[in-house]
Amino acid sequence: MKLHLLPAVLLAAAVSYAQAPATTAAKVKTAAAAGKVHRTADGHPDLSGNWTFGIDLPHGDLQKIVNGKVTRTHYDQSARHHASNDVPGALPWEPAPSYKPEFQEKVKYLAANESKTDPVFYCDKPGTPRIGSPRKIIQLPKETIFLYEDISGDTFRVIPTDGRPHRTDANPSAYGDSIGHWDKDTFVVETTNFVDDTWFGENGYLHSDKMRAIERLWLTPEGNLVYQATVEDPVVLTKPWTNFARVIPPNNDPIEESPKCKEDDGTRLLNLDHHLQR
Amino acid sequence: MKNPLFAVSLGLTLLISSSTLMAHHSPSAIFDMKKKISLKGTVTKVDWVNPHIVMFMDAKGDDGNVVNWKFESNPPRWFTKVGVNRADFAAAIGQTVTVEIVSAIDGSKYGYLQKITFANGNQISLEEGQKEEIRP
Repeated sequence: MKLHLLPAVLLAAAVSYAQAPATTAAKVKTAAAAGKVHRTADGHPDLSGNWTFGIDLPHGDLQKIVNGKVTRTHYDQSARHHASNDVPGALPWEPAPSYKPEFQEKVKYLAANESKTDPVFYCDKPGTPRIGSPRKIIQLPKETIFLYEDISGDTFRVIPTDGRPHRTDANPSAYGDSIGHWDKDTFVVETTNFVDDTWFGENGYLHSDKMRAIERLWLTPEGNLVYQATVEDPVVLTKPWTNFARVIPPNNDPIEESPKCKEDDGTRLLNLDHHLQR
Repeated sequence: MKNPLFAVSLGLTLLISSSTLMAHHSPSAIFDMKKKISLKGTVTKVDWVNPHIVMFMDAKGDDGNVVNWKFESNPPRWFTKVGVNRADFAAAIGQTVTVEIVSAIDGSKYGYLQKITFANGNQISLEEGQKEEIRP
């Protein structure tokens, strides 16, 4: 029944959002001009809007020649960049997680053979937090909704912010069970109840079903979204691991359904040259 | 773009230099990056799918027999973001085009589509862009 209600919830949220008077870019422009972030009626920074697609795609330009006219378009990968300077509010980060000795060989093997071992390579779900920042955020008084465009399928996360605890009746999943709260101006999403067959990052970052992900999202005065994730897993890691913060520019491109994913190159791979996914 | 004639080309230098260039797998795991070939044939099908778009083309082999080639290229999301949609490729179905590809190491009729040129001279090509530091 809850599943049947979900589309209505999303529709209501979408309608609510559609009635918002300003687009992300317009809000950003207005707020930036005022030197402060746009806020909702309850005083929290307003994260709602469309944000730049943050999944890794090929580097390079596309050139068109139409009736002799040459145009060249560069694919913007800015949402994949780590910040060139320290981002105010970001936690200290480390290049890689610290695995317990008994898991290090397996992680090394998975990483070396990722074109054969990475579930994402074969169109499976990246899970939280590997999927990264959402393409669209709908921030409501009692819940915030993350919408994603992902090659594995366009998923969503409904994150209660009314103080309720984690669900006790949810099945484990790739995206887990999330609850959110505000730490001053940072939206903190804590997620548990994971399946153990996803990776939390490229390079074979396996985890157990005891993983806990903490994602932090906040706005810069310029109106960009900052996304930073921490992974805790007392089963496989020696300590929590915090990844670098990503700075995500606003983007008013409409969110779109992703085409189905079918990777049939697996049998053609003749060596272990790495792909780059996310 | 209503005009079906266009070409897709991914600069060879782009491909050669690039474990970081392809989103899903390194092209060097499948394709002979030094074996760039040009083919003329008729487009038969375009699949707008992840993680790579796929195009099929009938082309005459050295023996005169028609063989069906399969090409993959960049992801659909990539093309959409740089202003090319499925319709741009699908408009070529049934038309004679010239493509540039790097072909599969295993010798199969499979390639990575770098450039497509339509009968009216329009083209779409993939070119090397400014280097960006990307952290996975």
